[in-house]
Amino acid sequence: MKKTLEVMGMVCPFPLVEAKEAIKEIQTGDELEVQFDCTQGTESIPRWAAEAGHEVTAYEQLGEAAWTITIKKK
Amino acid sequence: MLQMILTGLLCGALLGFVMQRGRFCLTGGFRDMYLAKDNRMFYALLIAIAIQSVGVYTLISLGVFEFNAGSLPIVAVIIGSFIFGIGIIFAGGCATGTWYRAGEGLIGSWIALAGYMLVAAMMKSGVLLPLDTAVKEVQLESNSIAATFGMNNWILIAVLVAIVGFVVYRTLRKPTVKIPGLKPKKSGLAHILFEKRWHPFVTAILIGLIAILAWPLSVATGRISGLGITTPSANILQYLVTGELSFINWGVFLVLGIFLGSLFAAKMSGEFRFRLPDLKTTINSFSGGLMMGFGAGLAGGCSIGNGLVMTAMMTWQGWISLGFMMLGTWTASYFVFVRPRKKTRQTAQAATA
Repeated sequence: MKKTLEVMGMVCPFPLVEAKEAIKEIQTGDELEVQFDCTQGTESIPRWAAEAGHEVTAYEQLGEAAWTITIKKK
Repeated sequence: MLQMILTGLLCGALLGFVMQRGRFCLTGGFRDMYLAKDNRMFYALLIAIAIQSVGVYTLISLGVFEFNAGSLPIVAVIIGSFIFGIGIIFAGGCATGTWYRAGEGLIGSWIALAGYMLVAAMMKSGVLLPLDTAVKEVQLESNSIAATFGMNNWILIAVLVAIVGFVVYRTLRKPTVKIPGLKPKKSGLAHILFEKRWHPFVTAILIGLIAILAWPLSVATGRISGLGITTPSANILQYLVTGELSFINWGVFLVLGIFLGSLFAAKMSGEFRFRLPDLKTTINSFSGGLMMGFGAGLAGGCSIGNGLVMTAMMTWQGWISLGFMMLGTWTASYFVFVRPRKKTRQTAQAATA
């Protein structure tokens, strides 16, 4: 199961805040894809995922100032 | 004049570049101390302060220029810094942060900047000047921490360096998890400059060095000061509406340089795009900008002028301001991030009950 969270246009730290909320609602082993365009999120989102013990299964730049990251829940 | 333009733009561009690439955000740093119990960015700021302190006091000892800490408008510093702290949470970035995010193409930051410049100018020479003057009248004689205790500045600097050394050692010794990064598409220097994640401590060292460089460059044009954002930002608006050339100084080119340096860094790393905020973010950005201008005007500096520079100069103003700025960001964080979540949870529970 994969859930997509689109937070384009949101400024920091809201993309991270939303991602933290969204991951609570999915089951262990399910994935959460976050699409964001806040530059600072390129640092804060993967850092949070790694520190919380989740696995980052995909992380890519979609275009000018747009990224997607997929996190598998611990 | 040409020298002022060139060295100001250069110093600002370096700062803008480093801040954009290093994701150096003090607002986020202060906020995360409270929200995430993460002090990394605060330690990074301390590194930049310590480096600047050693560098600038060396220059002063060598007689390159003189520095007078002046007196301490204590009430203005406390109230102003607290309001500034609240403002930067709403605006989503401090004064410098807002300048460099404007360079990344964030329209919300342009809006915050407009509010910030407007109120800062109102405090410096406009309708709020009498209020500004009245609050600043409550003054303590000594602004220099060393002078208050009758000791040498170098003793304080040595203490600061020791503390910073200790926290850096302790932080770097902690086992770290590997943070997943984007697949590199560039190599060599281009990778390091335009792609690689910079360690906040490396960024902090660079910012400390730029902050040192700012002093002699600025002094050479007759402005006895280091990095500063608020007064120059107000000066731009004051110049634009009065046409008075006296408002133009090294700091004006410094802040314009920050914008250009960040724009360059963002363009080169594929991180520039005009981004339009939604209505709520727009209102937050503008009101945050207004509070920033008021707070920084009253406190006599923002997170750079007071938080990075006046701290390094070992003044009461710098350290008291830094403390109240942090309190302001924590207070605002509670109302913006913590309380709304609690409420949503309560409503959700009430609905299921």
